[in-house]
Amino acid sequence: MNNSYFSIIARFILLILIQGFIFSKFDLFGTYDPYICLIFILIYPIKVNRIIFLLTSFSFGITLDLFTSSYGLNAAACLSIAFLRPYILNIVFGYFFDPRSVKLIKTYLKDSSIYQKIIYLFIMIFLHHLIMFSLEVFSLNHLPLIFIKTINTSILSFIFCSTFIYLFLPNEK
Amino acid sequence: MQRIIDSILKKKDVLVFLILLLFSLYLIIDSNYYQKYKFINLSNNFVTNILQEHSSIIEYFKLKDYNTDLIKENINLKNEMLNNNYKNIDSVLLRKKFIYTDAKIISNNVSFLKNYLIINKGSKDGVIKEMGVTSPYGIIGIVNEVSENYSSIMSILNLNSKINAKVKRSNYFGSLEWEGLNTELLILKDIPKTANINVGDSIVSGGMSAIFPENIKIGVISKVVLNSKLDSYLRIEVKPHNDMSSIRNVYLIFSLFKNEIKQLKEKVNE
Repeated sequence: MNNSYFSIIARFILLILIQGFIFSKFDLFGTYDPYICLIFILIYPIKVNRIIFLLTSFSFGITLDLFTSSYGLNAAACLSIAFLRPYILNIVFGYFFDPRSVKLIKTYLKDSSIYQKIIYLFIMIFLHHLIMFSLEVFSLNHLPLIFIKTINTSILSFIFCSTFIYLFLPNEK
Repeated sequence: MQRIIDSILKKKDVLVFLILLLFSLYLIIDSNYYQKYKFINLSNNFVTNILQEHSSIIEYFKLKDYNTDLIKENINLKNEMLNNNYKNIDSVLLRKKFIYTDAKIISNNVSFLKNYLIINKGSKDGVIKEMGVTSPYGIIGIVNEVSENYSSIMSILNLNSKINAKVKRSNYFGSLEWEGLNTELLILKDIPKTANINVGDSIVSGGMSAIFPENIKIGVISKVVLNSKLDSYLRIEVKPHNDMSSIRNVYLIFSLFKNEIKQLKEKVNE
C-alpha cells in the first residue's frame, strides 16, 4: 500500500512538471495543447478512499491551474471527472468492475478488450475538456466553437495519453 | 433527525464533491479579483517564480533570434527617422502622448479560448490597468490585472478582446476580434460593403481608444468575404504579423491623456 502511495505522489509531481513545462507549450496546429496530465486521474488506484481521491484530484487541478494561469478551470474539470469515474468504469467495464477488490486500473486495462480501453479513455478525456472549455467561455453564443475545440483537443490528448499509458504502464511492476 | 444525519453521512463523498466544486467555481468567477485572496496570490507568486526561472533558462537558447529582431527593428526606425526629417521639428512644440517601457513575458498560453499572458512587471514598476502591449511586430494585447510584481495581459487571441483597428490605405474603422480556432486569423468587423478594400492592405491600430497610439502595425488582409447580400458588413480576415506563441520581449504603452479622455467621456455621459 505504501508503495502505491509513493507512486501516486511521484506521478503527481512528474505529470505536473511535464505538463507545465513541456506539453502546455506544444501548440500543435497553432492552438492545441494535449493534456497528458490526465493520466494521473485515469490510472489512479480504485481501492483508495473516494474522498481522498476527490481531494487529490482537486489539488492536482489547482496546481495545474497555477502553471497555466487559468484559475479554477482545471480544478473543476479534474474534480468532476474524478467524481464521475466510478460510474464511467461501471458502464464501460461492466462485470470487470468490482469496487471491493484492490486493483489498479492497469489490471483493468490489461484484462479488458481494446474497445473498452478506448471508450473509457476517450469518455474521461472528452468530459474533462468539455467541462473545462465550457466553464472558460461560459456563454451559449459560442456553443459550436466549444464543441469543435473540445473534440479536436480530446483527439490529441487521447493519442498522447494512450501512447504514454501503453509505453510506461507495463514496466511498472 | 438521526436519520437525516445518517443519510447525509452516507453520501459524504457527494458532499465533498459539491463543496470542492463550488469552491472551484468561486475561483473561476472571482478570478478577476484574485489578488484579494492571499492563498492564490502567494502560491501564484511561488509558481510564477518557477516559471520565471524556467523562461530565463530558455532565453539563452533564443538570444540569436532576439538579436535579429532588434536589428530589424532598428533598421526600420532609422529608415523612418531619416526619411521623415525629424531634425527640423522643434521638440519643444511637440506634446508627448505616450511613454514606452519594456517587459518580459514569463508565461504564455494560446491553447485556451480566453488566453492571458503574464509579464514580469507589476504595480511596483508603474504598470496600471488598460495599458497597451505591443511587440516589435505588432499589437499583443491589453493589461487587465496588476499585482505587485506581475501583471496579466488579455491577449488578442481572447474571445473577449476587441481592438480598434483601421485599414491603413483607406482609413475605414472597425473592431478586431478573434474567432477562437486559428491563431493566424483575426476578423475585422463593422466595415461596410461599400468600402474600398483589397486583399493585401495592411491593418493598423486606429487610435480611437486612447490605449494604443495610431498606426501601430497589426497584420495584413488575407481574405474579404461578403456573407450574404442582405448583410451590409464585410467579413475581413486578417493575418497578424505576430507569432503569438514565440514572443518574449514586449513594450508597454502608457497613455498620458487617458485619464483626461476618460473624465471627458464621463462628463458627457452624465
